[in-house]
Amino acid sequence: MELLVAQLLNGLVYGVLLFFMAAGLSLIFGLMNVVNLAHGSFFMLGAFIGFSIFHLTGSFWLALVLAPIPVVMIGIVMELWFLRPLYARGHMDQVLLTFGFTFVFYDLVQTVWGKVVLTLPTPASLQSTVHIGLGVFSAYRLFLIGFGFAVALLLWLLLERSRLGAMVRAGVDNAGMAAGLGANIPALFTGVFGFGVLLAALGGVVAGPVLGLYPGMDTDILIPAFIVIVIGGMGSLRGAFVGSLLIGIADTFGKAYLQNVALFLIYLAMIIVLLIRPQGLFGIKYADAPPSALARTIMPSTPRTRALALIALLALIALPFGLADYPRALIAEIFIFAIFAMSLDLILGFTGLMSLGHAAFFGLGAYSVAVLGAQFGLNAWLGLVAGVLIAAAGAGLIGFFCVRSGGIPFLMLTLAFSQLVFSVALKWRDVTGGSDGMPLAMQPSFFGFSLSHSLVMYFMTLVFFVAVYLGLRRLINAPLGHAFIGIRENEARMAAIGYPTRAYKLLAFTIAGAIAGLAGGLYVIYNGFISSDAVYWTASGDILIMTMLGGAGTLIGPPIGAAAFLLMKNVVSSYSEHWLSIIGVAFICCVLFFPGGIWGAVQKLQPAGAKP
Amino acid sequence: MNVLELDHLHCAFGKLVVTDDVCLTIGEGERHVIIGPNGAGKTSLINQIGGQLKPAAGRILVSGQDVTGKPPSHISRKGVARTFQRNNLFQNLSVIENLRLALAVAFGNPLDVFSMAARDQALIGRARQLLQLTHLDGEEKCIVRTLSYGGQRQLEIAMALASEPKLLLLDEPTSGMSPAETARMVELIAALPRSLSMLMIEHDMSVVFSIADRITVLHYGKILVTDAPAAIQANERVREIYLGMAH
Repeated sequence: MELLVAQLLNGLVYGVLLFFMAAGLSLIFGLMNVVNLAHGSFFMLGAFIGFSIFHLTGSFWLALVLAPIPVVMIGIVMELWFLRPLYARGHMDQVLLTFGFTFVFYDLVQTVWGKVVLTLPTPASLQSTVHIGLGVFSAYRLFLIGFGFAVALLLWLLLERSRLGAMVRAGVDNAGMAAGLGANIPALFTGVFGFGVLLAALGGVVAGPVLGLYPGMDTDILIPAFIVIVIGGMGSLRGAFVGSLLIGIADTFGKAYLQNVALFLIYLAMIIVLLIRPQGLFGIKYADAPPSALARTIMPSTPRTRALALIALLALIALPFGLADYPRALIAEIFIFAIFAMSLDLILGFTGLMSLGHAAFFGLGAYSVAVLGAQFGLNAWLGLVAGVLIAAAGAGLIGFFCVRSGGIPFLMLTLAFSQLVFSVALKWRDVTGGSDGMPLAMQPSFFGFSLSHSLVMYFMTLVFFVAVYLGLRRLINAPLGHAFIGIRENEARMAAIGYPTRAYKLLAFTIAGAIAGLAGGLYVIYNGFISSDAVYWTASGDILIMTMLGGAGTLIGPPIGAAAFLLMKNVVSSYSEHWLSIIGVAFICCVLFFPGGIWGAVQKLQPAGAKP
Repeated sequence: MNVLELDHLHCAFGKLVVTDDVCLTIGEGERHVIIGPNGAGKTSLINQIGGQLKPAAGRILVSGQDVTGKPPSHISRKGVARTFQRNNLFQNLSVIENLRLALAVAFGNPLDVFSMAARDQALIGRARQLLQLTHLDGEEKCIVRTLSYGGQRQLEIAMALASEPKLLLLDEPTSGMSPAETARMVELIAALPRSLSMLMIEHDMSVVFSIADRITVLHYGKILVTDAPAAIQANERVREIYLGMAH
């Protein structure tokens, strides 16, 4: 009994911490339609700045009061200078911008406070234990629960009883209506964003003694907070509160009693809620995303572009002969990720669906090769064929549920499904090796040549890259590709002229999944190793960045983006530790100034007459 | 057989009833115009026939086949095409690409992944005929968002005609047009083959009376009267609630 109550209290503690995150996330989404992927970063910054203030002053309470101030200032600067210019565009761009910031903040924390796990000690006055009828409990944890409930009550009063709260609620329902009530919408946006950041930073400080501080705690809290607002309902404070406590308690009990399936069950719950009640338990219905600013006309190839493509191909064939082993291997990796990025672009840039779970199919392909090789001794090339088929089947199944929605719900569903795949990869250790990963049992040969030779590896990946590039180009220029573009441009019209659009979206999703599976299988053959990290949601985020950075909606863009990303990661990281910041800043600039990505900017440089 | 039959159709947004027990038939080749004050439920009715909106009760029959609640793509394939009140085109694609998308699903193989869509001469030939019919020849390569407003309205008609429908639903084809553009649009619609049935929403009375074979007056979701144009003009009640207000 005492254990049960202790578990319940721990669940409430975690639930309260989730509430600090989810309340802000939910309000920001409800009012501004922004899914703030950097919200976990504010939680993390609050925790670390609180840690430093504690060490300067020796007072936990000073840390709790002072630490949120700089974090809120950072948040307000982000809203004013970075998010605001993007409100006129589709809100996908805002999602991407906040994702760019997560890189910068992660790097900042890692640079200032290091990579080790730190702990914020419990305040002296709360180090005692408290005897309640049922047992002995930590005073700090009880305080934390009380603090969380008090903040929730205050928030509720603020929203329900104050004039400011009425404006926020009106804004959540309808921004136009709020303006009619005399609300200053831009100031309201800044205020709510800052307030959300304040809650996250406060949550970070009070979480310090419970969760520990480490770079990466941002995503560790962000994903469960997402689950909370999806289940509770976006834009609803009550939903955030009930959802937080539900997930907090379920997660704590799950970890204690159902270790291996707890994670799986929580993602499954999220998916079921999204499918049955897309607006969540308490949420209001929200509109689908307007199409993002990826629109581009179809550009047929001309003799000039064909000549350029041929020159580029010849250059890629000649290139490795002048290079050492390491750069050859690096370029081979770029080819593989270029395939992966092009596959994402088929749904993102050409069909207009933003997925944050594409790594799931990369993972299915990769694990198929590795697991079938290890369990049944299957040759890696046959494993690759199986991997493509399994990834296609997985994408068909997952896509069946996802393509019923669009915009942000689609983003959330793909994220949830990929985390479901991730939780299987992580927990099914006997087969997948979990986070320790598993090696490829036997490296295959490529037409009799050994892939341990870097030149052979280079050409093997080049062959696949060129084949996928040409295949996709064919597809894009064919009637089917044009149908995908039509859906991106105007799905309702496509339906009105006779296209069963859902089936077409599912087809695009399945093809993209199959090609991602091919990339995953190739990656295992290349790398000789696969771990659950490759399926984590940040891997989906990375490939999204590569695609957007290079230029979504074109076929040349994603390979350029993959090259830029991996060169930064591997080359810049060798002489600067701050490659994450550099990628983050490059990506932020790209979203702000070059919505068409690197390739879009290059195309703009061409004289007008050269454009077809 | 009637091309379209609405059988006790009913639809509401919450408590607001937009379609209230509507029964209507449209015969082969008939040009039927719906009029009514703003908020009478005209566009909602078209949206139900086109499949964009699901009715709460009643049936919609196209050439005798029940299509109630079916998705827009299904209804389109049954021979019903529509235009939208606000231009609803592929703004970033060229005029010919817009038409090719509409033609590919009706006459081509939209699942084809091998051929070059831009080189399908059969479809391009059809597209050029449609452009001629809608006075858009010469605008073929124009990106739609740079096309004039009137040109976009004409393209709306061309897109709807692409599938060679039996029934054409026109949602205020002249809305927002200048008098000169309106005159051209009326001429264009009047010149369409007589075998094509039409259901059209229109506010401009001169347009209504120059096109309609029969007219239905819709009022708060209910059909007030369906009759020949001359009878509608003579109808006291219609004058009272609609014509009187408009002038």
